[in-house]
Amino acid sequence: MSKRIVIVDDAPIIRSMLRDILEQGGYEVIAECNNGFEAVETYRELNPDLLTMDIVMPEKDGLEALHDILAIDGNAKIVMVTAVDQRVSLMKAIRAGAVDYIIKPFESERVLSAVRTALGVE
Amino acid sequence: MLNEPRINKAIKMVAKLSIDKGSQVFSKLIKTGARIDMENAFLGDLTTVTEDINRQNTSVVGAIINLVGDANFKFLFYVQIEDSMILADLMLKREVGTTKEFDIYASSAVQEVGNILASAISGVFASDFSINLKPTPPVVINDFVGSLFQEFLLSSVGEKNEILIIESCFHIVRNNIHAHMFLLPLGDSEKVLSYIANTM
Repeated sequence: MSKRIVIVDDAPIIRSMLRDILEQGGYEVIAECNNGFEAVETYRELNPDLLTMDIVMPEKDGLEALHDILAIDGNAKIVMVTAVDQRVSLMKAIRAGAVDYIIKPFESERVLSAVRTALGVE
Repeated sequence: MLNEPRINKAIKMVAKLSIDKGSQVFSKLIKTGARIDMENAFLGDLTTVTEDINRQNTSVVGAIINLVGDANFKFLFYVQIEDSMILADLMLKREVGTTKEFDIYASSAVQEVGNILASAISGVFASDFSINLKPTPPVVINDFVGSLFQEFLLSSVGEKNEILIIESCFHIVRNNIHAHMFLLPLGDSEKVLSYIANTM
């Protein structure tokens, strides 16, 4: 059975790009979320194998959502997605428990590699 | 104060470095030959700029982003509606012309390119001048350019009389997209610009 992934990003075009890459890589994208609130609720409801999480989002950002999800499930697998030049936020996320990261703009292979690493299939 | 020649020079340098950096990231994003050229960067009188913009009757889509931290700026990036559709096709690796009507992807393409450019600006401030700025999530607006500009100025009117205007062209294979960018210094950001001017 393919692994179930949730994409969290406030930009629909980035969600679409990530969905294409992940589905072509054999993963099932079970939901897309627009902000951190939706991400936390969706995690509770669907218990996905992995989330990709943008950092800069309105309402609740990726760092806050990361903390909340890890408080629900300390084993949650979360890969952070962020623009280049936001390394400070990225390091905070890694220290807080994110498994890996992807820098935008991303290459397909880098996305799939981060997902494989996070899922422990390498 | 902003119009002092040395500060003017510092602002133009930040604009040039930001466009160069944004150009590299943009090229990687659409994975095709692309470059962003800065055609012009100048400090304009806010009242005159607002009057000029209000005379235009163009429908545009723009992203407004706050840059907050050691200094505060407000950034606006906008393109015409037709150009937002080209950006969406390029980002989604579709043939240019596939998007026939303005949709969430065209809106989101402007959101993401605005993000890239704002991140490039904050990156230049951080790496070249050790000034930390963090971009807020973009607010995307599809409206007449005058209305968009009023929204951009909302809550900052009266703070400054000058605004940095960056006119640029995105050259992408056979498509040339003219983009407009504005950077509005807020609060104490003059001190930061003065510091940059002194380090150059």
